Amino acid sequence: MTFLVRVAVFGTAMFVGGAAVAGPVSGKLDLTAATAERPPAATKGWLDRVENPLAPARPVNVTSQMIVVLDGAKPSSPGQVTWELVGESFGHPVMGAPAGAEVLIKNLSGTARTLIAAEDPKLIPAGPLNPKGSKSFRTTEANKIYTVSDSEAVHLKGKLVVVDSQYVTTVDEGGKFEFGEVAEGSYKLRIFYKDGWLDGTTDVVVGAKGKTEVNPKVPALTASAKK
Amino acid sequence: MFLSKIWFFLIALVAAIALTIALTLPRPAQRHFVEEEHKRLSIACGVVDIQLADDARKRLELTGTFARSEDIVKALTAASGADKIDEARMKPARDTAEKVMTAVSGRKPDFAVLIDKRGRVVASVNLDQNDPGDVVAGRPLVDDALAGYLRDDLWTRNGTMYFVTASPVIKRDAPVEYVGAVVLGHQVTNDLAKFLVKTLDVELEFYMGKDAVAGSKSLAIDASQMLPRVKALTDPDRGKDCLAEPLEVTSGKESYTEIERRLPGEAGARGAFYSVLIQRPSTIGFMGTLHGVKKSDLTPGRFPWHFVGAGFVIVLAIGIALMMMEADRPLKRLTADAVKLAKGESERLSEDAHGGKFGSIARSVNIHIDKVSREAKTAKKDIDALLGPAPEGSLGTIDLLATALPSARPGGPAPAASAPPSDFKFSAPPPAPTPPPASFKPSGPPASIPKPAAAPPPKPAAPAPPAPPTRAPTPPPVAMPAAAPAAPSLLGGLGDSLDDDILGGLGLSNSGPTTGLSNPAIAAPEPAGKLGSTADGEAHFRQVYEQFLTVKKTCGEPTAGLSFEKFSEKLVKNRDDLMAKTGCKEVRFTVYVKEGKAALKATPVKDE
Repeated sequence: MTFLVRVAVFGTAMFVGGAAVAGPVSGKLDLTAATAERPPAATKGWLDRVENPLAPARPVNVTSQMIVVLDGAKPSSPGQVTWELVGESFGHPVMGAPAGAEVLIKNLSGTARTLIAAEDPKLIPAGPLNPKGSKSFRTTEANKIYTVSDSEAVHLKGKLVVVDSQYVTTVDEGGKFEFGEVAEGSYKLRIFYKDGWLDGTTDVVVGAKGKTEVNPKVPALTASAKK
Repeated sequence: MFLSKIWFFLIALVAAIALTIALTLPRPAQRHFVEEEHKRLSIACGVVDIQLADDARKRLELTGTFARSEDIVKALTAASGADKIDEARMKPARDTAEKVMTAVSGRKPDFAVLIDKRGRVVASVNLDQNDPGDVVAGRPLVDDALAGYLRDDLWTRNGTMYFVTASPVIKRDAPVEYVGAVVLGHQVTNDLAKFLVKTLDVELEFYMGKDAVAGSKSLAIDASQMLPRVKALTDPDRGKDCLAEPLEVTSGKESYTEIERRLPGEAGARGAFYSVLIQRPSTIGFMGTLHGVKKSDLTPGRFPWHFVGAGFVIVLAIGIALMMMEADRPLKRLTADAVKLAKGESERLSEDAHGGKFGSIARSVNIHIDKVSREAKTAKKDIDALLGPAPEGSLGTIDLLATALPSARPGGPAPAASAPPSDFKFSAPPPAPTPPPASFKPSGPPASIPKPAAAPPPKPAAPAPPAPPTRAPTPPPVAMPAAAPAAPSLLGGLGDSLDDDILGGLGLSNSGPTTGLSNPAIAAPEPAGKLGSTADGEAHFRQVYEQFLTVKKTCGEPTAGLSFEKFSEKLVKNRDDLMAKTGCKEVRFTVYVKEGKAALKATPVKDE
């Protein structure tokens, strides 16, 4: 994970549905096709942004807005998901959580925030989230996507994706991800980008022992994503 | 007066037209003024934005100066490789930033922030909001700068608005790479607002929601009325904001026309805007136009004083001439005629000499004169018809009884005419005319009701010299002349003793020679009492009756058939008729001798 991604996922259980834990599942996304144009500036002043003449602009970091999920294991013990608020943004703008998991938002910045989920204003406890403070709430319904924002900071936005799976994790800047201990079995790996699921899945078979490596290819991000 | 009225109408019409023009004329000018004001606002609104954009370019260039500083590049390169930004790493970076800021000529930034390539704050100058190591990545300005873009934005913090610019910091030595970004902020201040509008002759206010952030003038404007208008501005092109309909606002006693334009950037997304204002004149319309008149507008070179003065004199002269022609001179002529009438130099007003209403006045006066004359004649005729003709010239007294006149006046022929119709008799028809008593001689002195001893005996055939007839004693109150009066002398004497009250009550002047019956020489001294109560009236009637009876006997007239009841009944009737006719309050009855016969006269008494 990159330094920006400071999200800890504690949703992984040692035992899933009574099945024995086989070992960690990790991999690296093939991002060769996953190039994205820089979106228009969320805000602008009197001038349009101008690319500097000394060096080409840095590519858009798409992995910070990706999560990967292993479908095939219902969340039996969803645990807790920590979502860090760092400075002027979420450490990971897109965060996944198993249905029923407790989501803990930690404010690591020096600024108080008042967060609210647009799709369910009562999801997050009301009141300011003070600096160094935290707020927690529990997700109940699977396959829901919540947009969390602060009305006082238009640039501060995050997506919380509630999945019907025990295994969900984020991706670092290089495309690497790791699920930790996964129970033996067959799974399908799906990728969520920005605000929807990317087309295609990758079959993952976790054996009884050892580490499972998977390197799925990310399709073009310009394709329509399934929400 | 017709021409005067026409003239007055014309003047009123011209005045009304002039007033209408005066009230209406400023309106097109006012509309034009308002339109010009709106144009000025729109232009000023756009110019302010152009100036702000130009200012953004200058600030962006200044940010580039920071970003190119070798010391800053080195500081950020080192920080980007460190796992943690601590105080030891922050201080030299801040010193470097301060040194660069000090070297800036002209308008200096109010704060500067150095950010490493991970988005962490390495150092900040004049801004304590970020601790070292705080992540400011996530803000669009910072993210774009870290990605290699130069841009500007607007930030707000604690009621303060900043114009911010950011530039990537690039290590130009190989390998060329991004090592961070630098952000400069310029606070929006009153001085900046004044600077922006110093050549526009407008006012400029910056608002964050309803809170005023800065302005070119200290204004107390309730910005809440602007917020709905700002919310209604949704067109992505902010330039169209300046074309909206202006709003009238007040600050104390001052009135302004203002127009809003949304501010861009983060602040704009949170409802920040600026307002361009023009102070409205204190009054508009007709009074505003009057107040706007300057002395120079009234100089002879600019205002046609000669024309106005000449017009005024002409209008005034025509008006005066018409008044003199149609009012003053005719009135003067009528006045002179009236004076002549009053002096008796003329009997009527000359109607032909006066035209129009004055002629009508003359005619009306003449008509009234004629009416009065007719009424006077009619009144006399009525009285005569009622009571019989009064002695000649005695308009105010009425003969009630003249039936006992002798057929021939003493010393003359008997009257051919019969008794007046108003005469009444209390007996059988009068006997055939008898020769007047010897005592009635025309040349004889006036005689009062004869005293019993002095009264001439009614011996018609006696040509004896006048001597009072022998009579029985008469009631004392009766003081008739001793000698029976000869009619001519009697009538002649009456003219001097007309009762003024009666004349006044009838409204007639006693201008002509008249004969009255109130001559004490011939009238009973006080037979005529005033009829107060009924008892008084009856007593008076009885007294008059006795006097009448006495005189009748004295005159040798028969008294058979004459009773007091009939007598008083006749008096009451005549009294009532006379009172109704003349409006008098009382009637006084007097016994006298008329042409050798006893007669009664009734004198209306109007006042006590």
